[in-house]
Amino acid sequence: MTDAAVTVTAPAPALARLKTGLRWRALAAASLPQIAFFVFLALSWEGMARWLHSPLVPDIATIAREFLLICKNGFVLQEIGATFVRMSLGFLVALVVAFPIGIASALSRTAARFFEPGIILGLTVPGLVWALLCVIWFGVSLASPVISVALGVLPSLVISVQHGVNSLSVEVIEMSRVFRLHRTAVLRRIWVPWLYAFMISGCRVGFSLAWKVIVLVEIFGMSNGVGYQLNAQFSTQNVEGVIAWTLAFWLTMILIERGVFRPLEKHANRWKKGSSHE
Amino acid sequence: MSSDITVSDLKKTFAGGARRARSNAPLFDGLSLSITAGELVALVGPSGCGKSTMLNLVAGLDRPDRGEIRFDHGQADIDLSVVFQQPRLLDWLTVEDNIRVVFERDGKKKGNAAHITHDLLARVGLTEHAHTYPQFLSGGQRQRVAIARAFAISPDILLLDEPFSALDELTARRLRLLLQDLWLGEGHRPTGILVTHNMLEAAFLADRIYVLSGRPATFSSIIDVDLPRPRSLDDPVLFDVHRRIMQALT
Ligand SMILES: Nc1ncnc2c1ncn2[C@@H]1O[C@H](COP(=O)(O)OP(=O)(O)OP(=O)(O)O)[C@@H](O)[C@H]1O
Ligand SMILES: [Mg+2]
Repeated sequence: MTDAAVTVTAPAPALARLKTGLRWRALAAASLPQIAFFVFLALSWEGMARWLHSPLVPDIATIAREFLLICKNGFVLQEIGATFVRMSLGFLVALVVAFPIGIASALSRTAARFFEPGIILGLTVPGLVWALLCVIWFGVSLASPVISVALGVLPSLVISVQHGVNSLSVEVIEMSRVFRLHRTAVLRRIWVPWLYAFMISGCRVGFSLAWKVIVLVEIFGMSNGVGYQLNAQFSTQNVEGVIAWTLAFWLTMILIERGVFRPLEKHANRWKKGSSHE
Repeated sequence: MSSDITVSDLKKTFAGGARRARSNAPLFDGLSLSITAGELVALVGPSGCGKSTMLNLVAGLDRPDRGEIRFDHGQADIDLSVVFQQPRLLDWLTVEDNIRVVFERDGKKKGNAAHITHDLLARVGLTEHAHTYPQFLSGGQRQRVAIARAFAISPDILLLDEPFSALDELTARRLRLLLQDLWLGEGHRPTGILVTHNMLEAAFLADRIYVLSGRPATFSSIIDVDLPRPRSLDDPVLFDVHRRIMQALT
């Protein structure tokens, strides 16, 4: 009843060379298309800038100079950091609130009906409205960005949790009942890993929504952060400034995607067949 | 300790969703059945006659409209295992953890989980896959995990609902032998109910075969299989039994 395993052996140095070769190739395959995108974008932009010859479309050199300027003394990091702390806090608050609401809505039809209008409200109201209201109510405090981000992200997270809970198969639940698994085992071995795998993509979407809200709050009610800087550049008609800040934030988001969400997703889905590709 | 199973005067009707009048007729009405501790009986019959429903009732996943199902001790104290048609593993736990998880149950802890798991993995031939996730196994290997899991708690009662019907014949054959080994290997053999469409499988594994048919379902025939264990899959007597079941069914 043992399963035969076939091992292919190659001389050790050749194998090692082959392995490093493969690793380089994989790295190239993963990053070349992205580098190509940046090059393509830069070239088209530069072409457009030269062709239009307008101060509204600054060329790459000007943008790069501006970018270096905001990078001086780590200023850009400081501002992005401030934005990120607000965003993450709001997001976490939403996540913590979304779990009980999502679980209740999944388990009880009455709860689902109760929360439904609220969720639709949340999906309908633009982030701009939350931003304005929170700035009016809470002023220039940490509460404004955190609460408006939380409100902006909450409905989609609730829906995500609800779907996650509903999509666990009845068969698995029956199995846990037959074997009389302890409540903590059901929670730790079934619900947590299942929802973890399910929620990662929901969180990723939620996080990009959070950005769209936070930038508005910072425009209206904060005295620092990326949103504030964008607004400051805008009010002085500094196009390259707006672009440089956008660029900085874009790069940060790519880093977060690669450094946080990808690895988390990979980990959460490690048990799924066909999830080993990038 | 393995336990008697006494089903008395069972009635079960599924209401709703029924367009045809026949579907509202009770599945069972006054059905009784008693199985002595340590016996393994097979339940055969046409599709839709209520075999899975019967197992669900015994497993406590569903409630009868009338009648009762009794064990030696209360339902809450019975150690009951089920092998379903699909393995129903937790895909996000490794093979080993899928077996170990059943030790995290209500009430008493039984035995040394690590030791028993290790031992069972060896007996079902999956030691080298202990740390593999189920989705990376073949169907037969997954069903072996489900069987190992079922035996892990040394159950008093073992319910098998077409455990091998999703597998190819060769794999099914091996697993029938494996099941017999595991069942015979238990200190006190669990009382078993096997639902199957494979009459040779019923003849090979069971002490007695109940042929269920009609609506409400009744036992149209009960066939004893008096063969010593361990049995061989190619014992000609099994073919006799097979013929008798087929006669009872048609
Ligand atoms: N949850 C349910 N709700 C409504 N009807 C059900 C339910 N479960 C089973 N039934 C009905 O009860 C009847 C018996 O179903 P059951 O699954 O017990 O059959 P079975 O003997 O196991 O058949 P098979 O051999 O095909 O598995 C079927 O007609 C089915 O439609
Ligand atoms: Mg069935």
